[in-house]
Amino acid sequence: MYQKLRLFFILLLVTCSVHAQVNLSAHVDKNALALDDELTFTVKVTGVSGNVVMPRLPSLPAFNVYSREVEQNTINGETSLLFRYIMLPRFVGNATIGPVTFTYKGETYQTEPVTVRIYRNSTNQATTSAGNIQTNIQIDPNLPPLQAELTKQAYAHSGEPFFLISAVSDKTPYVNEPISLGVRFYYSRAFHDAPYQKPNVSNLFMEDEGSSEGSQAINGTTYRYNEQRYQVTAASPGEATIGPAGVRYHIGNSALSAFDRIFGGSTAGPEKTALSSPITLRVRPLPAEGRPNSFYGAVGNNFMIHAKAEPTHVRAGEAINVSVMVKGPGNLKATQNLEFPALDGFKIYPAAATSGTANGSDGQIQGYKIFKAVFVPVTSGIYTLPRFKWSYFDPTAKAYRTLQTSPIQITVDPAAKTDGGFNFASANPLGNGVQTLTQDIAYLKTAKAPQDNALAKLSRVPIINWICLIIMALTALFVALGRAPLAKKKAFLTAKAQLKKATSCQAVADIISEYLQRKLRRPTGSLSLKELNILLRKSGVTPATVESFALLWQQLEAERFAPVTDGTASAVDLPSQALDILKLIEEEMK
Amino acid sequence: MKRLILTICICFMVCLAHGQNTFQSAEELYRQGKFSAALQEYETALKDYPNDPFLYYNIGNCYFKMGSRGLAVANYYRAFRLAPRDKDIRHNLALTLEASGEKLVPAGVPVILHKAFFSLSSAELKGLVYVLFWAVCICVIICLLRRKWSVAFTVVCVIWLMSAGWLYFRLQQDNENRAVIAVPVAEIRSGPGTNFPASANIGQGHLVTILDDKDSWYEVVVSSQGLKGWIDKNALEKI
Repeated sequence: MYQKLRLFFILLLVTCSVHAQVNLSAHVDKNALALDDELTFTVKVTGVSGNVVMPRLPSLPAFNVYSREVEQNTINGETSLLFRYIMLPRFVGNATIGPVTFTYKGETYQTEPVTVRIYRNSTNQATTSAGNIQTNIQIDPNLPPLQAELTKQAYAHSGEPFFLISAVSDKTPYVNEPISLGVRFYYSRAFHDAPYQKPNVSNLFMEDEGSSEGSQAINGTTYRYNEQRYQVTAASPGEATIGPAGVRYHIGNSALSAFDRIFGGSTAGPEKTALSSPITLRVRPLPAEGRPNSFYGAVGNNFMIHAKAEPTHVRAGEAINVSVMVKGPGNLKATQNLEFPALDGFKIYPAAATSGTANGSDGQIQGYKIFKAVFVPVTSGIYTLPRFKWSYFDPTAKAYRTLQTSPIQITVDPAAKTDGGFNFASANPLGNGVQTLTQDIAYLKTAKAPQDNALAKLSRVPIINWICLIIMALTALFVALGRAPLAKKKAFLTAKAQLKKATSCQAVADIISEYLQRKLRRPTGSLSLKELNILLRKSGVTPATVESFALLWQQLEAERFAPVTDGTASAVDLPSQALDILKLIEEEMK
Repeated sequence: MKRLILTICICFMVCLAHGQNTFQSAEELYRQGKFSAALQEYETALKDYPNDPFLYYNIGNCYFKMGSRGLAVANYYRAFRLAPRDKDIRHNLALTLEASGEKLVPAGVPVILHKAFFSLSSAELKGLVYVLFWAVCICVIICLLRRKWSVAFTVVCVIWLMSAGWLYFRLQQDNENRAVIAVPVAEIRSGPGTNFPASANIGQGHLVTILDDKDSWYEVVVSSQGLKGWIDKNALEKI
């Protein structure tokens, strides 16, 4: 049961795919023609097999269909059917050939409508002025420049049974501007063996645009013509040339007559050659003024741009294929590649661009170029691919135009697995009710850092270290060298100040005792007068001064311990005496 | 004089406002996902405030979001040196290093010890050593004058010596010629030139120590991987 079902689905799929391969298209060999010309309308069906019914043409009030033919081709197993209708226009103006319907296996297919422009016939009027006959060709002013020029040249060759002419749609194109080149071989008699030699070009790229046939009445003679169309683009400014095209032909219906076939030899007419006139183009450079950065060299009009991203929902680290396609007239192969702008959050890897050409429904070459790049999102989030810009030069408006794509939104989920640690997602199980999905860096700091603290500021004043070192050194120096002399000097000054205030013998005795203690650097309270005298003499005090000191000391002791008179007067004199003696000791002591 | 003070004050306010505006506009760009534009804003501001750790931090964030882990690590490191106690800086640095296969805290070192070692910035540590040195000097002077060595002097001396040792190790680490791999993949070659074979490829964000310099090549050691060789200078960002 399962196998049957599977078989059914496979058959259904095959049937669907067969149906999906049926393709229907319609095109005309020219989209502008004169009233006396003919139009070949071709309907192409591909992907069909077996018996098929003819396509159903729409109502064609503007044309008379006078010929139908069917051509079947099978290439690599694929069959294509060409239904050709040769039609004669009936009215001047725009004529639309509506959709052609085609039914195949119950399905109905339709073509796009095709519009062609029909112009008045050209005429050649002869006027006589001052005895001279002048011919004046009347051409429909609405006729496109290429057709007008070809018609003009054809009238110039009127009367010749065979002639070849060529013309371009614009003789002063811009660099890279696609223009049309038409080469027509007119004939009013039968011919055979007519190999065609296409023109040589310089400073130009030439692309085949196809061929067509038609008829035209020129001064009463009906000519048939074969037309070969090219699209040419100039590579650089300056002069560009299109050499003569050629057709070698033999007049008549066959190369060999029946007599020749039987007996050999040839009675065929001589080979003749029809050559077109060479054409010189003056190629204009593109204006530098107003040229946008997104200009890559395309010239023309009616360009289109479209951007596509696949897929639009990925995980971080997965690739997104982004393609930007530009489409328009001419060959875009020579244009430079689009530069994809850098995009935050993405790594961009541009790929080689592809380009090509295809004939449009109007018979003109349509070029396309596809720029591809792989965008790899680095982190998750919702991103918008920006509008990609692409500019071209519009020769009609003589200005640069810029096209831009629509923005594309891309949703990027966090990466599923780590790429060497870049993705921090960890699969912590739900242990404490919290599941770590991903770890990301902390957010920005939204303000400046606070100013340095006191410690950091202090580090910028190393001079304080030197000051401290100097103070310490000075202290050490002071302690080592200057402390003792200062103490000695300080002892006299202290004693002097105290003696000035002393009012009693006891006070004077205490001041002298303290002074000696400091000077001699030993306690003097327990020393006898004799011992004091010895110490003073050892310190360099003269015997006379020592004698005076001894007298003073004895006097002080007497006043203190055995006063005989009123001590007030003595107490007044003793400090001054003591000061004098201390001065002497100070001066004499080493 | 008053006018001068007023002018200085106004200038200061304008500069401050300008700095804040830069932060605001750059943050707006960052939020919109325009990381390269935000980066430009921060790098412009860095010219005016070359020692602002938060600017380095924000620059690191921009690089990280742009996928340049190596440059993010370099800038986080610069921020970390200036403000080692900042939790965000530490978090982002540790996270980015971890993503590159490196570690902020060396193996075997307790995190608490690492945090203690980096509890002060180098400038703060230098300031602390200075202050302690001044205290030592004062103690010496007092003791000299008093002709008596106190216990306080001994304590201050010990603390000062310990701080000086701490500063020594910090400065040694700061002055270590370190760099980070700034390109997606760098080749380690056996000699200073492309004519020497590449012995290993190393991804961005790895920390290296520069040993030597020859033409456009650095001789480096990748401690975490036990590699030694020569790397193109363009592949490295010095920290």
